[in-house]
Formats: sequence, C-alpha cells, structure tokens
Amino acid sequence: MDWQLLGLTFITVFVAEIGDKSQLAAIALGGNSKFPTAVFLGCIAALLTASFLGVLLGGGVAQILPTRLLKAIAAIGFTFLALKLLMLEEAEED
Amino acid sequence: MIKQRDQVSTPPSATNARLFQRGFSAVFVSTFVTIFLAEIGDKTQLATLLITAESRSPIVVFLGAALALVATSLIGVLLGQWLAKRLSPQRLEVIVAGLLIIIAVLLLGDVVEGS
Repeated sequence: MDWQLLGLTFITVFVAEIGDKSQLAAIALGGNSKFPTAVFLGCIAALLTASFLGVLLGGGVAQILPTRLLKAIAAIGFTFLALKLLMLEEAEED
Repeated sequence: MIKQRDQVSTPPSATNARLFQRGFSAVFVSTFVTIFLAEIGDKTQLATLLITAESRSPIVVFLGAALALVATSLIGVLLGQWLAKRLSPQRLEVIVAGLLIIIAVLLLGDVVEGS
C-alpha cells in the first residue's frame, strides 16, 4: 500500500472538492431535507461512481460520455429542485 | 418526477415538507442523479486521472479519492444541517433555492466553456 500516493490523492481531491459544485449541492440539499442521510448517501454514491468511471475510463471519459450534455441536464435538475422549493414557499404564504 | 396529489389534508407546512421529501429513496435518487450528472467530467475527475496516469495504481488513487469525497460530502451535509438549525424555514428555503440556482449557473458555465 502506497500511503504517500493515498495521502496525495486524498489532499488533491479534498481541496478540489471543497467549494466545488457537488459540495454546494450537499450543503443545499442536506440543509433542506428531512433525510440528510439520504442526501449524504446520494452524494457519496454519485461521487464515487463518477470517480470510479474516471479512474476506469482513464482520459476517455470526455470522449465516451457527452459530459457537456450531462452537465446541462444536471443544471436543469438543480433549477427544477430550486423552483419546486420556491413554488412551495409561495404556496405556504397564501 | 411526477407529483402525487396527497389525499390526506395536512397543514401547509407538513404538506410543504412532505412534498419536498417524498421519502428517503426519492431524496437519495434525486441527489444521486443531479450530482452524478454534474460530477462526470468535472475537474475532480481530471485531478484523479492525472494522478492515476502518473502512478499507475488506480486502486490506491480511487481509495484516496473516495475518502476525500466522503469527507467533503459529510462536511457539506453537516454544514447544511447546521444552517437549517440557525435559519428560519422561510429564509432557509430561499437560501437553499439560491444555492441550487448558483450551482445550475456554474454548470451552465461549464457547458458554455466546454470544460
């Protein structure tokens, strides 16, 4: 076991992830959910799968998967979650 | 995500809560899908890939990345929960909605940049 490599990867990914979109999502989704464990597990499952694909496919991720299209869909997903929240917020006032 | 109408009439705040969290699996799935789509091809992947290419031991790299991702996710969710206790429900919702919109804008930025 190459502990130096493990530590290097941990720090690199940790620093890259702090303040990254996925962490903002964890904060937002985690903050507003009665199921924070579900948000936590959802985050880890998503990040590990994406990371596993990254290690598995090597540099080919961008060629194989239409990452820009997927990010556009994710953007729509996040907007949907936000609008649903805001719509509910109005519903609560009247 | 089809919205099921609730037969039982519940007070507005309960409906609001239940509408947003339709059970543990719904939250898990929506979190997984949105974050997975956002993370694929993201800069974290690049960092992991570069180290993998250089070290040629993907298992150790994946383990290191996994531990870091678990740590940041935990910090994120705990921070969110901490915020939830600090803020009034209405203000929390506005802030969370704002955060989600910011993420969507950042993602569209990635799409436009083609990163």
